[in-house]
Amino acid sequence: MNDNTSTTSTGSTFFLQLKDVSKSFGTHKVLDGITLDVAEGEVVAIIGPSGSGKSTLLRCINFIAAPDTGAVIFEGHTWKTFHSKINFLANKRYQKKLTTLRSDIGMVFQNFNVFPHMTAAQNVMLGLTKVRKMSKAEARKAAESALSQVGLSDKFDQYPEKLSGGQKQRVAIARALALKPKVMLFDEATSSLDPELVSGILEEIRRLAGTGMTMVIVTHEMNFAFQVAHRIVFMDQGKIVEIGTPEQIRNPIEARTKAFLSAILN
Amino acid sequence: MVSAEPFFDFTSVWSSMGILLKGFGLAMFCATAAIIIAIILGLIVALMRLSSVKAIKTFAFIYTQLFRGIPLYVLVIWVYFGLAIAVGINMPAIMAGVVTLGLLNSGYLAETFRSGITAIDRGQVEAGMALGLSKREVTRTIVLPQAFRIIIPPLGNQYVDAIKDTAILSIVGVPELMRETQQLADLHYRPFEFYTFAGFLYLLAVLTVSRGIAILEKKLSAHSAQTPVNTAS
Amino acid sequence: MKTNSYKIDWNVIDKYMPELLKGLSITLEISAVGMALALIFGLMMAVGRLSTNKFVSRISNAAVQLCRSIPLFVLLFWVYYGLSLKFNILLTEFQAGALALGITGGAYMAEVFRGGLLAVSVGQTEAGLAIGLNKGQVFRGVVLPQALRVVIPPTVNVYVGLLKGATIVSVIGVSDMIYVAQYVSLDTFTPFELYTVAGLIFVCLTLSISGFAYLLERRLGRSRAHG
Repeated sequence: MNDNTSTTSTGSTFFLQLKDVSKSFGTHKVLDGITLDVAEGEVVAIIGPSGSGKSTLLRCINFIAAPDTGAVIFEGHTWKTFHSKINFLANKRYQKKLTTLRSDIGMVFQNFNVFPHMTAAQNVMLGLTKVRKMSKAEARKAAESALSQVGLSDKFDQYPEKLSGGQKQRVAIARALALKPKVMLFDEATSSLDPELVSGILEEIRRLAGTGMTMVIVTHEMNFAFQVAHRIVFMDQGKIVEIGTPEQIRNPIEARTKAFLSAILN
Repeated sequence: MVSAEPFFDFTSVWSSMGILLKGFGLAMFCATAAIIIAIILGLIVALMRLSSVKAIKTFAFIYTQLFRGIPLYVLVIWVYFGLAIAVGINMPAIMAGVVTLGLLNSGYLAETFRSGITAIDRGQVEAGMALGLSKREVTRTIVLPQAFRIIIPPLGNQYVDAIKDTAILSIVGVPELMRETQQLADLHYRPFEFYTFAGFLYLLAVLTVSRGIAILEKKLSAHSAQTPVNTAS
Repeated sequence: MKTNSYKIDWNVIDKYMPELLKGLSITLEISAVGMALALIFGLMMAVGRLSTNKFVSRISNAAVQLCRSIPLFVLLFWVYYGLSLKFNILLTEFQAGALALGITGGAYMAEVFRGGLLAVSVGQTEAGLAIGLNKGQVFRGVVLPQALRVVIPPTVNVYVGLLKGATIVSVIGVSDMIYVAQYVSLDTFTPFELYTVAGLIFVCLTLSISGFAYLLERRLGRSRAHG
């Protein structure tokens, strides 16, 4: 699928940029000075051993986990963690502004995180009515079309309890896509799935890549990453060790990358 | 005992039915009012316990521990007689009873609510945030509806306990079922019959509430994968 | 009520502390006897509920439901005045109080015991039978020791409940701490001080026992995880 080896497939300015992002949990430094540029339409896959900070990195992009230091630049707008110890209202305003960033960035989780108390359609409609301020009827139509696109046209009114893991993840993908995001983040989207359901979800992601969606994908599916991504990022211990095209990473410069890949591929 | 009288004689119970049912109604009113107060206070205290401000958290912790440790009987006497005598706060008996019962139950409910809220998977909150929902919207549309389901069974148990506890309010003169039963039992000299009948009314109330809770729980859990089907028998 | 004339005087506490503590010892005693009865009733009802005999399990179920639904306060009067008058069962105040506590506590203990017995997996019984133990040996040697661990922390909580419940036995004339507070304040007219102190003593007592149960639960939970 990927024969495009250039690092910036479209656009000259960087669409999404992380600048020196760091984050600690207690004394443990999870992210240590991450800088990463993503061009519009580019697919970036992040690989690395568990605990290397991949998932936290994704969460810093949409500030679900706020970076301690550093900035995220998205469509020319710079986002930094803001917290005033005294100005309660300013904090609130800032939190509100963050929701606009988040609504432009879709995210799909390892554990699906579909809302169990809502039907498939209601899951998708929630963001449409609350964030996009659609009417119920409009939202319902949009939800149905989003669900149909991921192959769930017969499951609109099912509760997640009645759905398989793969179907739940499809609901989650439809929920994110319905908001027409400009970037999609995938956080190990297939890791909780039964083996036979993995390929279906990977197929959805591949299809999405084909539409020119900008994506950042954290995954353990190496073959998939090397096929779909324009660039691959190898992370270890909170740092980016190596970035490159799939061809470049296949023959890595860094010893750690080499060790990781040989362990994974054997 | 006079031998001509039948061994079990409920005629005086039947003839006092009006008073007894009125007392029963008052008991149910007290329990319901107390539980409503307890839900409101309990929710506030539960949110305080989840606060990041240490002083608020500590206060809430002491609050729950204190009210879970005091016996109702001691507190209601203290509130009704003690406060009146020492600081001049003179409440009507019903009010003192409802307030006391509400305070004690709020201590328990605060813990129930807290564990219900913390039981919601962090991923649910993240998913809501990722959609661009505000913090308040996440709490309202995602966290609370799910927490509500977890809370229903223990909340039902608390209501049942509150109904049973209203009997103790007779001590400060609230004319609820137990108070009326005591007076009628003395008046007619039929303690066995009257206390048996009172017990029957409490049983009826408790069974009805338990049944209602079980039905509600079943209805709610029909949609949710996360609610364990575990009804108190 | 002349509220202004009331002067809070904590000296009365010093003076009557021995009496209060004597009352407390009676509270502890009656709750202990009540708890002992609760353990017996509870075990009977729990075993009954798990019985394969439908009749026995139904009766036990109904008994648990009944005992759980009737307020302790009502039970107390029913036992002390109702039973004794009707059937000429003459119980002392203390006996009646302990019996009422035992009935209420028994219903809760039945649930606790049932939970404990059900918590031991069938595989454990099978393993016991497989090495040639008979049913009784399996129960005593395999099931019971494991069930006890699950049962102990909630049992302590039931006791705390009974201890709090035991405060009402003064209404039938058991001379517990509350009773002492009542009759001393008739003399001294210092109910505020006496009830405040009695309440605080109870809070300390129940909280320390609950705290103990919490620690026990953590310890047993840990050792179970290692076992």
